[in-house]
Amino acid sequence: MKRARLLAGVSVGALLIDVGVCAAQMKGSIFGPGTRSYPVAVASLKNLSGPAAEDVGTRFADIVGRDLTLSGYFKILDRSAYIEKSESSGYTVDSINFDNWSVLGALALVKGGYTVQGDNLTLEVRLFDVYQRRQLTGRRYHGSVSELRRMANKFADEIIAQFTGERGPFDSRFAFVSTRDGKFKEIYVMSPDEGDLQQITKNQTINVSPSWSPDSRSLLYTSYKRRNPDVFLIDLISGRETLLSQRPGLNLGAKMSPDGTKVAVTVEDDGNADIILLDRSGKVMRRLTDSWAIDVSPSWSPDGKQIAFCSNRTGSPQIYVMSADGGAARRVTFSGDYNTSPAWSPKGDLIAYVSRSEGEFNVHTVKVDGGEPRQLTQGARNNEDPSWAPDGRYLVFSSSRSGHSKLFITDVTGSSQVQLTHGGGDDSSPAWSRWLE
Amino acid sequence: MGKRLLGVVVAGLLVATIGVGCSAKKKGAQAGTEGGSGVGEEGLGGGGSLEQYKAGTLGAGEEGPLKDIHFAFDSIDLDETARGILRDNGNWMKDHSGAKVEIEGHCDERGTVEYNLALGAKRARAAKDYLVTLGITQDRLSTISYGEELPLCREHTEECWAKNRRDHFVVVSE
Repeated sequence: MKRARLLAGVSVGALLIDVGVCAAQMKGSIFGPGTRSYPVAVASLKNLSGPAAEDVGTRFADIVGRDLTLSGYFKILDRSAYIEKSESSGYTVDSINFDNWSVLGALALVKGGYTVQGDNLTLEVRLFDVYQRRQLTGRRYHGSVSELRRMANKFADEIIAQFTGERGPFDSRFAFVSTRDGKFKEIYVMSPDEGDLQQITKNQTINVSPSWSPDSRSLLYTSYKRRNPDVFLIDLISGRETLLSQRPGLNLGAKMSPDGTKVAVTVEDDGNADIILLDRSGKVMRRLTDSWAIDVSPSWSPDGKQIAFCSNRTGSPQIYVMSADGGAARRVTFSGDYNTSPAWSPKGDLIAYVSRSEGEFNVHTVKVDGGEPRQLTQGARNNEDPSWAPDGRYLVFSSSRSGHSKLFITDVTGSSQVQLTHGGGDDSSPAWSRWLE
Repeated sequence: MGKRLLGVVVAGLLVATIGVGCSAKKKGAQAGTEGGSGVGEEGLGGGGSLEQYKAGTLGAGEEGPLKDIHFAFDSIDLDETARGILRDNGNWMKDHSGAKVEIEGHCDERGTVEYNLALGAKRARAAKDYLVTLGITQDRLSTISYGEELPLCREHTEECWAKNRRDHFVVVSE
């Protein structure tokens, strides 16, 4: 029920799926991460409802193309070169002249049509294998015109599923911190294609560390708006905000458990940061760490049984893992003298973190049970704040590589890195939500 | 300079006027009044760093009666210079026995926002503990961490970073 408003009526018809289609031969070998080489044509959708409808068809194609580019797997062919025009052609196997697409070098083709009636948008879209001249998948979406972006993001995820065997990560949202509207760090939310930007805080103080509830409906964040750094929980649909943790001193880096019932948060005791566990209403359940050292930045394992965190208990900040009940901690990072910002992969196997060496801060991953870390970024002063995509194949992070701090997406190997945010100000501390449904 | 000082006084008076009746709210409102009350008395700090940042005066080099202390990267250790400044600050507090002071812990831009907020808290606490050993009572000292959020200096150089790794002392009431 609570989903109903979030989705606001987007429904998916699977009626168009071509039974018996097998894309198996397209999965695997031709798709290395970061190959960015698989040429796809994404045609504007055909307007089936007569004049006056918004330019839904082009916007849909733009968003799908943008998502596919971010994935690092695809090269989107320039639409101005398309021979077959959407308005004068069909979008079924029988009505497409595949020669018009193979001559452009397209191996795959996205075509479809839409109708707009009042605020209602119905959209049919299909993915074709140009070489084999057949449909790989198709979807029908119903919803309001304002949900066009979600429909496009969902179909991009479906295309990625067809080619890689796993659903893409783009039917989701990002929360992040930005100074784009002034000198203060405020919190924003947007879709992965940089659309639907929404400013969440406007208090002109310091706002940091946004994180999502597992249902992608609420945000936790720390704000100085009451002058002390307190943790707030805001429901993005109702707009209702509650003060979750307001102890004197730090209330920081709150993260909700995967089942949504608990919140791990860093608080301050006599100047020292420790991690405690709250229930959803903010009541203290138990203390998780109790050392003389800094313990900060909890990150839940996907099964909710363990928590990764950063501690300087050995003299320098390192990544540790402990039971979600607290108790003894096991050290995970051993190289370098500055390892912070742990983020546990939704697949469970890796912890991403930031490591300092030779004056640079870079995003790394390490297996939860130890082993050699893998460095994903390089060549900039700061590559920080990793946060995992819902599919566990991508990370978003902030980087100063283009001057100002901006958000970038990388695949899990580091071989494909694409800039996500543009414009003025510094963007930092991204948090990638779970899938929206 | 004279013009600027006048600006601070006017701004301070405005804030003071607005702040009437809010004294129980302490810190925020009071810190904002210091430009005004301070100029007439002993030249107090000019407000906390967040208020200064809002007013656009952070890093302008205005000096209160209490001096900043500085730290090495990722360190909370008080070196001999820092301890000397803390002794001076402690002596000022002994001479002004009604004064209450908020200690702000700050970091340079390098490293992680959350870790730096925790580090700033420890830096503020280190100064508070030292002042207590000098005989200043705990109830006159409060702490707050701003981590790397309010740098005095924004260049990416060690000289600049060194200025930002600081405890700043704000007289919040006298």
